[in-house]
Amino acid sequence: MPVTTTMRRHTATALLLLPALLFLALSFVAPMLILFKLSVTAKEGPLWAYGEILGNAVYLRVFWNTLVVAVAVTAISVIAAYPTAYMLTLLKGWALTLAVYGVLFPLWISVLIRTFSWILLLEKNGPVNRALVASGVVDGPVQFLFNNTGVLIGMIHVLLPYAILPIYANMLRVDGRLMLASDGLAASPWMTFRRVYLPLTMPGVGAGAVFVFLLSLGFFITPALLGGISNLTVAMLIELLVNERLIWSLAAAASFLLLAAIAALLAVAARFVPLGTALEAR
Amino acid sequence: MLTRRRLMGTAGAAAAMTGAVALGVRPARAQSRPFTFVSWGGALSATEKEAFMDPASKKLGFEIANTSPTTYAKLKAMVEAKAVEWDLVDVGGRFIFQGRDQGLLEEIDYKIVDASKLDKGWVKPYGIFTSIGATVIAWNTKAFAGAAPQSWKDFWDVKAFPGARGLYNLLYYNYEAALLAAGLKRSEVYPATDEKVKQVIAKCQELKPHVKVWWTAGAQPPQLLSSGELAMSSAWSGRILDAKKESTAVDMTYKDGVAWGNGYVVPKGTPYKEKAMQLINYCLSEEAQLRLLPVGTYGPVLSSAAAKASPTQARNLVMHPDNIKDMLILDEEQAALYSAKYEEAWKKFQLG
Repeated sequence: MPVTTTMRRHTATALLLLPALLFLALSFVAPMLILFKLSVTAKEGPLWAYGEILGNAVYLRVFWNTLVVAVAVTAISVIAAYPTAYMLTLLKGWALTLAVYGVLFPLWISVLIRTFSWILLLEKNGPVNRALVASGVVDGPVQFLFNNTGVLIGMIHVLLPYAILPIYANMLRVDGRLMLASDGLAASPWMTFRRVYLPLTMPGVGAGAVFVFLLSLGFFITPALLGGISNLTVAMLIELLVNERLIWSLAAAASFLLLAAIAALLAVAARFVPLGTALEAR
Repeated sequence: MLTRRRLMGTAGAAAAMTGAVALGVRPARAQSRPFTFVSWGGALSATEKEAFMDPASKKLGFEIANTSPTTYAKLKAMVEAKAVEWDLVDVGGRFIFQGRDQGLLEEIDYKIVDASKLDKGWVKPYGIFTSIGATVIAWNTKAFAGAAPQSWKDFWDVKAFPGARGLYNLLYYNYEAALLAAGLKRSEVYPATDEKVKQVIAKCQELKPHVKVWWTAGAQPPQLLSSGELAMSSAWSGRILDAKKESTAVDMTYKDGVAWGNGYVVPKGTPYKEKAMQLINYCLSEEAQLRLLPVGTYGPVLSSAAAKASPTQARNLVMHPDNIKDMLILDEEQAALYSAKYEEAWKKFQLG
């Protein structure tokens, strides 16, 4: 290819990317640098804030809690999303429209409102418990709220669409003839699923899992209202440090430690799931 | 018709605009914006607008913009960036001292603000209280077959008053409640010491298996109590009084309550410092304070206004002699101190 054409192409690419890059530099990179500066300029010393968090069992416990919840939410969301996404690929016409709206509609309602709605539904004397008790499934009301169950229900409800959509998009791209070929070569349905369909849809699963995992690490309102005290998350801790205790260097250090933990986890995950191809628009 | 060129033009303009916003170009010069009062929202903001701000605006002759919610972090950021957009802010009393220590507040100018008729406890160098509420014991009326808890000792007594409890998420209020439950006299609660905080944590450890919710938002206790999720909870008096207007499922007592005020502070560097002082002075006038009586949630700080309450109104007033005699007045300076020093120990207890 002639050099000039290549160069013109690169210039065009750079120009097309410029607005987004400028926006990211100003609204994301610059604040991050300021935040980093804040984390190392505590009057007690440059590494004080990091030492304070890493050396404190309470904070480490909160980090651990946050990761455990995020992993659980991600696992359940992906497992629930996979068959749902598959069902979507089978639907056509108004049924598909209805189902897609069913997936997307919750995204249009504020998380705060959805969280309060869950409280009303799941409380001790709420409709869910009354129905369970009346039907004789349980003897007394089930404790759904102010524990892990409440947090999982609330978070999965919010995050499920983020798992369904990439998996669905991936499944649409799978060539149906490959399944026919596998069948024609005498593979059982399970074998076809395991050896053909599942590997082909893994990028979508990876993308969905990454979305859900990253979003769930930053959750704040849902665990604060549906969880118990042991569901304190890093986001809640940062809010407390920013807003109540006004120790911003600690809050900034907590943010960067969370970022470092996420980067490390994604690096490990990238070895098993093809995240690069998963996030690629194909 | 939307041509490609127009599309690109729009995109470019949008990028330039977002760039300008991100660079921190201030949307308006300070002097061109109206005087701004900030409070917590909900019933409190509505009351303050009606009783204080709207009449003050007429009387003092300047426009007052009412906004919410109060965020300490936002206030700190504004002051530190020297771009103050809030001129008078309703805060929890602790912040008067926290803000003073961080250099975020203007001193109250007592040459303009006449505090001579107020109880000294409500007047501080960097903030002043304009209405009074309390953290009280509240319960679901069906929970105890008509019996009414009378003290924090009763709150801790899960045999006489069985059922799930709610307590505030932070050490704040729990410090006072636990020490009173442990049998300390009101005069012994302060100053906060290592021993007393240990005693607080031991006392709360006792109750912890029964504490179902550590609430963070004022709206939680009335909701959780009226639905029966909790049998008894600490709560902000104004929220319960407000809930009682609509529901008979919750009740409260001022006995053993912890009284506190809604504090007004002036962020450092406001261009409207003098107006803020005049406004505070108006809020403390009898004319303004009397308007709190019919609302029946947060009451006047001015005792001469409280004294004019009708017998029905008086029952809801913290400052009424029959109520305040059984209450502890929260020492916000001590609270700022114990919150800074012991909040981590408290979190450790909660998670443990």
